[in-house]
Amino acid sequence: MRFLICIKQVPDSTTRVKVAPDGTSIVTDGVTWSISPYDEYAIELALEHKDTAPDTVVSVITVGGPRTKDALRQALAMGCDDATLVAGEGLGPLGIANALAAAATELKPDLVLCGKQASDDDQGFVGPALAEALGWPHLSQVTKISSSSPGMEYWKETEGGHEVWTATDPVVLTVQKSAKDPRYPSLPGIMKAKKKEIPERPVADVPDPVKIEIVKLEPPPARGGGKIFKDGDTKAHAAELATLLRDEAKVL
Amino acid sequence: MKIWVVSETKDGQLCRVSRELAAFGATLGDVTVLRVTGERVPAVAAAAALAERAKSDAPDLILVGATPSGRDVAARLAAKLKRAYLSECTELSVKGGSIEATRGMYAGKVRARVRAALPAVCSVRPNAFPLADGAAEPTITDVAASPATGLTFVRFEPSPASGGRVPLSEARVIVSGGRGLKGPESWSQVEALADVLGAALGASRAVTDAGWRPNEEQVGQTGKTVTPDLYIALGISGAIQHLAGMTSSKVIVAVNKDPDADIFKVADYGIVGDVFEFLPAFTDAVKKVKAAS
Repeated sequence: MRFLICIKQVPDSTTRVKVAPDGTSIVTDGVTWSISPYDEYAIELALEHKDTAPDTVVSVITVGGPRTKDALRQALAMGCDDATLVAGEGLGPLGIANALAAAATELKPDLVLCGKQASDDDQGFVGPALAEALGWPHLSQVTKISSSSPGMEYWKETEGGHEVWTATDPVVLTVQKSAKDPRYPSLPGIMKAKKKEIPERPVADVPDPVKIEIVKLEPPPARGGGKIFKDGDTKAHAAELATLLRDEAKVL
Repeated sequence: MKIWVVSETKDGQLCRVSRELAAFGATLGDVTVLRVTGERVPAVAAAAALAERAKSDAPDLILVGATPSGRDVAARLAAKLKRAYLSECTELSVKGGSIEATRGMYAGKVRARVRAALPAVCSVRPNAFPLADGAAEPTITDVAASPATGLTFVRFEPSPASGGRVPLSEARVIVSGGRGLKGPESWSQVEALADVLGAALGASRAVTDAGWRPNEEQVGQTGKTVTPDLYIALGISGAIQHLAGMTSSKVIVAVNKDPDADIFKVADYGIVGDVFEFLPAFTDAVKKVKAAS
């Protein structure tokens, strides 16, 4: 069984994101780049499956510039088998989905996994759009996959629990954070990943009908200057707070 | 301008966010509120049915509540229609042939204004366009889901800890607990407060990672981004990933014994003190204040 995992390289989640002077991009100097967190959970789901079914092949793919090869290497170091870079920048979301779909048609995976959204633009568009481009169904918010006969079971997080679904044909899953944290690359994994070839393929002439233009980026409105009760009787403050929330903040 | 609202219902009632969008849509143009009928309809089947109808209806703007299932259908529908999709918008305006939206990026660390050509699909955060009192109940047009998707529903596995509360992403009040609560047994007190407030329960990542609370309650990056009217952070220090997910709440209350905790930097009201002294006293006080008003 072959898994194909679509990943995106994004600023690490501990990054203090700063808006660049142009007002439409972020400062990239000093940013540590990493695999988007939900994509890491997707990798983990696939590798867990490989742990129990060693004939599983886990492939990773990304669309981006030269720097994004580091994310692929990080995935290889975690234990993925092979990686492909679709070399191209500046594509819109449907262009990326179409480029991934073109590659997937050649790689012939049984299952495609994406993070439920990338942690930079937080859109959550490419996964369902990739499924659409492939003509496959998709399930979102998946936290667990398990073998069943026939096929596989997919656990989709929903209000109050999980819906369990099966599919006999290929499907795209968009992955939500799951109980098991993504594994760290092992030292031998890192050594092996360094030596692996990462083939590049061009973004062929894929349709890219949608452009989303960034007009302006700003930090969220500053907060602070709140009323902080530093000393005194916590119980008395608690009572006062309830009154303030009703009369001053008007939220009770 | 033709506006669609793809609505959601729960227990036969139109969800609040759907009503918010119907009212907001009416300020932009002619609104049709649609509902895809059927049980556990996969996004692909809902999107297929809606796309079919869009051929004749040709809506300029499709609005969907940014709930997990709403976002799912919206993204698939936009892809099917080859239109722009803007997710989790908090402000929207139509300018000429374009839609301009405000939405969070980098898990809320950046606020972005983005533009796309119409026609477009937008998912909109609950509470972004608060509903006026006495807003008319919209008329709903049912659309039958498309059949046969290649997916088969097998069963539902309930998660043990969820007790029929408001979903986190739609809640107007959230009571959220962190490591300062010391262990899962403290949540009976948190729930007592949440009950009085009619609040949803949230948690920091430390808490869900420790297994004290289910993952679905996590607020922040890799969890949910929330924008309630009132967010109460109990024993949460305020890691950047947590702050990113809740900093757009209208009013933030923080209780923590560490006066230097980062959570106080975003709090409108803060109490430096013992959360276990605070909880019962505050729960009582809220009861009294609510009874008096």
